[in-house]
Amino acid sequence: MQIYLPIAEMSLNALMLLGLGGMVGVLSGMFGVGGGFLMTPLLIFIGVPPAVAVGTEANQVVAASVSGALAHWRRGNVDIRMGVVLMIGGFIGSTLGVWLFTFLRGIGQIDLVIAVSYVLFLGIVGVLMVVESARAWFRSRNPSAPRRKLHYHNWLHGLPFKMRFRRSKLYISALLPLGVGVFVGILAAIMGVGGGFVMVPAMIYLLGMPTSIVVGTSLFQIVFVTANVTFLQSVNNQTVDIVLAMLLVVGSVIGAQIGARVGSKLRGEEVRIALGLIVLAVCVRVAWTLVVTPDDLYSLGLGGGH
Amino acid sequence: MFCLLAPAKAQSLVADLSTREVAISTGFTGAELLLFGATEGFGDIVVTVAGPRRDEIIRRKERVAGIWVNGTSVTFEKAPAYYRTAASKPLNEIASPEILSKLQVGSDRIDLFTRSQRSAASIRTFRDAFIRNKKKQALYSEDISNIKIIRGRLFRSTIPFPVNVPIGTYQVIVHLFKNGQHVSSQKTPLTVHKVGLESQIYDFAHDHAPWYGVIAIVIALMAGWLAGVIFRRA
Repeated sequence: MQIYLPIAEMSLNALMLLGLGGMVGVLSGMFGVGGGFLMTPLLIFIGVPPAVAVGTEANQVVAASVSGALAHWRRGNVDIRMGVVLMIGGFIGSTLGVWLFTFLRGIGQIDLVIAVSYVLFLGIVGVLMVVESARAWFRSRNPSAPRRKLHYHNWLHGLPFKMRFRRSKLYISALLPLGVGVFVGILAAIMGVGGGFVMVPAMIYLLGMPTSIVVGTSLFQIVFVTANVTFLQSVNNQTVDIVLAMLLVVGSVIGAQIGARVGSKLRGEEVRIALGLIVLAVCVRVAWTLVVTPDDLYSLGLGGGH
Repeated sequence: MFCLLAPAKAQSLVADLSTREVAISTGFTGAELLLFGATEGFGDIVVTVAGPRRDEIIRRKERVAGIWVNGTSVTFEKAPAYYRTAASKPLNEIASPEILSKLQVGSDRIDLFTRSQRSAASIRTFRDAFIRNKKKQALYSEDISNIKIIRGRLFRSTIPFPVNVPIGTYQVIVHLFKNGQHVSSQKTPLTVHKVGLESQIYDFAHDHAPWYGVIAIVIALMAGWLAGVIFRRA
């Protein structure tokens, strides 16, 4: 069943898109991640223009994270003060990011920057995940091994503008969460992701937040930042395809429910090793497109827009 | 079909399209138009179809630190986004290259203007690459066996439009040649446009971009919230 996507300006099979959304949804439900970092490269692999894939994915992540954010909100697992500081940073970062995106698109380098960002982040995150969960897996087999400290005090804790975050039981410089927010905001704009895979580790290891409220606060921030990206991409680049986003949303919400049920039956470390390997596989696939000699060295691009 | 023969006496060439508009709707996977017409007596027919003109960039990839990066580029100004030539026999058997160039027949002969300061040879390479890439996307095409002439008078040809056909106004020109000389031409405009919900979404995204963004967000928020409600009950 072919469906014409008005912004991507191409026809794709609607069932395939639902399936793709479902598949990524299952993974995101299983592993508790947004799935944007898998969906965007997959969309590019099936021929969606990278700029449209990124803009549309931001829109899809809004839908994917809002129900999770609401659920955590109801359970009181959101540090609102921290969330707002992260969000301000996120707004600054994503606005900068979309501006950069528009500029890179104008000079014909956006596809390259998207691909390089993916290789870099998927590579780093994938390796860290596999190593970290492999360690945890060995530790669970050998309980006498020494545990690592969760966070260290260093120069970051000497920064000015200290703020008290009661819910997180922290008294730290507001610049820290602000900086994390800016960084994740830039990633959200350029890669079409929520950025949870960077923000969650940053909140635990860098800010030292309690694990119980990390996911809720991160989702809270992601909703607002991806909404900002959706808005700015629509205004600056017209690269948000509502039809494509909705097909992916329908598939992914159903998939996420299935994934969550499957995930709860699996062992944590093994699940994380599996996710790490998937992330690395996508990383290698994207890297391959960068290094392999193209069939034709020349490619078309539009000048003054349509 | 006989009604077409009457005016043919006066004009020596008449042609029309099965439809003057191509509508892109939800299920659009490409379209094929039928061009038909009649001539007075024997001759050769060449049909060109030129799509909306816009600036097109062709970029060359270069290897930088092991990865392929878009490097130098050439912009062809007001180049046709779609271009097709169909003929009743090979073009070089129909007319001289001078005549064909003057009439802009064949993708090798169409004018592509650039302000680039590169050498003529380099621009030629970019031009060839541009046409090659356009052909790969099925936006440029050449077909010398596509025109069927029936009893030396009636002719028919098909014009295929791929799914990525650019929207806008197209010019379909039918040329009649006799003994290597250009006898007459007929122009027929054709529009390609989006219809239904697709066209409304596209136009809205471009004409009211801020509102489009807001609506995209609201729909996503509602979809996410609704999914949460449904699955919490289930």
